[in-house]
Amino acid sequence: MATVSLTKLVKRYGNLEIVHGIDLEVADREFVALVGPSGCGKSTTLRMIAGLEEISGGEIRIGDRLVNNLPPRSRNIAMVFQSYALYPHMTVKENMGFSLKIAGRSAAEIEKRVAEAAAILGLEPLLERRPSQLSGGQRQRVAMGRAIVRDPDVFLFDEPLSNLDAKLRTQMRTEIKKLHAKVNATVIYVTHDQVEAMTLSDRIVIMRDGHIEQAGTPDEVFKRPATRYVAGFIGSPPMNLTDATVDDGKLVFANGSMLPLPTQFRNSVTAGAKVTLGLRPDDFYPSGHGLHSGEESAVHSDTLTVSLTEPLGNETLVFSAFDGRDWVGRMLNPKRLKGGERIRMSFDMSQAHLFDSATGKTLRVE
Amino acid sequence: MKAPRLSAPVLLLTPAVIVLAAVVLVPLALSLYSSFTSFRLTRPASFFNVIWFDNYLSILTNWDFWVAFGRTVLLLTVALNLEMLLGLGLAMLVERATRGQRVLRTLMMFPMMFSPILVGFQFKFMFNDNVGVVNNALQSLGLTDAAIPWLIDGTLAFIAISIAEIWSSTSVFAILILAGLLAMPKEPIEAARVDGCTPWQTFRYVTWPFVMPFAYIAMTIRSLDVARAYDIVKIMTDGGPAGRTELLWTLVGRTAYGDARMGMANAMAYVSILLSIAFTYYFFRKLAAARTQIGAEW
Repeated sequence: MATVSLTKLVKRYGNLEIVHGIDLEVADREFVALVGPSGCGKSTTLRMIAGLEEISGGEIRIGDRLVNNLPPRSRNIAMVFQSYALYPHMTVKENMGFSLKIAGRSAAEIEKRVAEAAAILGLEPLLERRPSQLSGGQRQRVAMGRAIVRDPDVFLFDEPLSNLDAKLRTQMRTEIKKLHAKVNATVIYVTHDQVEAMTLSDRIVIMRDGHIEQAGTPDEVFKRPATRYVAGFIGSPPMNLTDATVDDGKLVFANGSMLPLPTQFRNSVTAGAKVTLGLRPDDFYPSGHGLHSGEESAVHSDTLTVSLTEPLGNETLVFSAFDGRDWVGRMLNPKRLKGGERIRMSFDMSQAHLFDSATGKTLRVE
Repeated sequence: MKAPRLSAPVLLLTPAVIVLAAVVLVPLALSLYSSFTSFRLTRPASFFNVIWFDNYLSILTNWDFWVAFGRTVLLLTVALNLEMLLGLGLAMLVERATRGQRVLRTLMMFPMMFSPILVGFQFKFMFNDNVGVVNNALQSLGLTDAAIPWLIDGTLAFIAISIAEIWSSTSVFAILILAGLLAMPKEPIEAARVDGCTPWQTFRYVTWPFVMPFAYIAMTIRSLDVARAYDIVKIMTDGGPAGRTELLWTLVGRTAYGDARMGMANAMAYVSILLSIAFTYYFFRKLAAARTQIGAEW
């Protein structure tokens, strides 16, 4: 097992810079998720770590070894691809044992290690099949088996679940989590799905336009997003974000509505500052149908008009107009609401986030 | 009394059956029949002189025929293997090209655009022992003083013919293998690199198994081509000198039209066709196996 460290890592295609000098330290046995929208450079970064893309600048170290100029085969990594990338002409067993065969291991050892990996992944009945005879989920499992068998320093996952249907994805997500607990390896996992990132990883790295917006534990990035972008990206349904101006202990919105200035930001903003208020759906609920996390006194309430509801069974998402746009709130212990109905909504301002409108950075002072 | 009515399917199939019978079945039956006669073009009456298996029996003991047969198999083996190696190399080079790939693909097909007769003439000139460019070049480079008798020595002539054949048809392999390479998903190659493969191992264990079916398709096409090789040889050496480059079909052609022994020639042709069928069957089997291997969906 090993650490991975990226220092001022840059990727350029001709004059076009895709990755702008990112720094990242991945600890031994840590599960790190690189998450971001398509085109943010997360896959490129992973492929540079794998050695499939050349590095235009900076350094990559695996353990204490500088691997910049090493071919993939010398890096002792295993990679799981989005499209599985199984060898179509080999059986499941041959696919899994291939890297060992290339490494010149004995047939007995290959047999043993493939059997072990197959047992972990429940692949025993499929060992003699070819990839074309397997379902998507089974193929993905073989791809993971191929990675485990190698006992590599680092596992790299490139959107491994994106080709699976929703149900299977949830199931495989659990399996990956169990797998990590079992093999206890350093993992770098690329995904565009923030739920995958949140549920699986020890640490999430949110990337955007070729740089890192924030790196932190799932809890940190959820509770203390460093930028407005991260706030909007992490969490489902997404955080409600609206521009406002600070004025004497109040936030004043474009259409004149007002909310009290959250006390936790009282010292970090001055009157006249242009800010963006962020409030998660959990902290914006029909009064009596949600839980406030902070002081009772921090909960502000206002009567709003319901425009739409999305009942989910155990809860209902309530869309109501505030400051000229629909804010989404989470209604626990739901009752039926009709569009156009006027209801009392609670704003738990102790959980509010404020970002500088111009830079998008959080105004929270630690 | 009413004329008997034919049913619609029979009626509709009749024209096709008549045409097929006229252009395929009747000639085939006649040629098969004539292989059992002593038919000579110069004596039409001999067409009705049935001698049963005499022609076939004399082929069995005809040394010239079996030499030509063996030489054809040798040409098949040499030409097909070299064409495949060269075609594979060419395809991989072209696949690597990031720019001008279309132009290269078109250029690659040029040799196929020439009639084999012209290719024969061109190579006959190039290998001419007095004025040919090959000897000229060898002498200018100081590699030899002698005028190498390319088209006169049996072995050299065979080499010269093979070169002409290979030059004109390597692109069949190159194009089909290139199609395979372009259709190949890139991820397994990347997976192989991560799995620890050197470039050679990646080729050996991942790329080659994938393009193999495409090579077999080319093999099938080309084996039929070479098994009926006639034109290039006819022009370059005409099977000579003294039968040293005789192939099956130059022998059949000579027997049929030179010696006018059509009955015998037809018997030879039927035996020769067995060779083509054998090769086609062999490569189809290989192709089917290779396709199942890669789980091809075509």
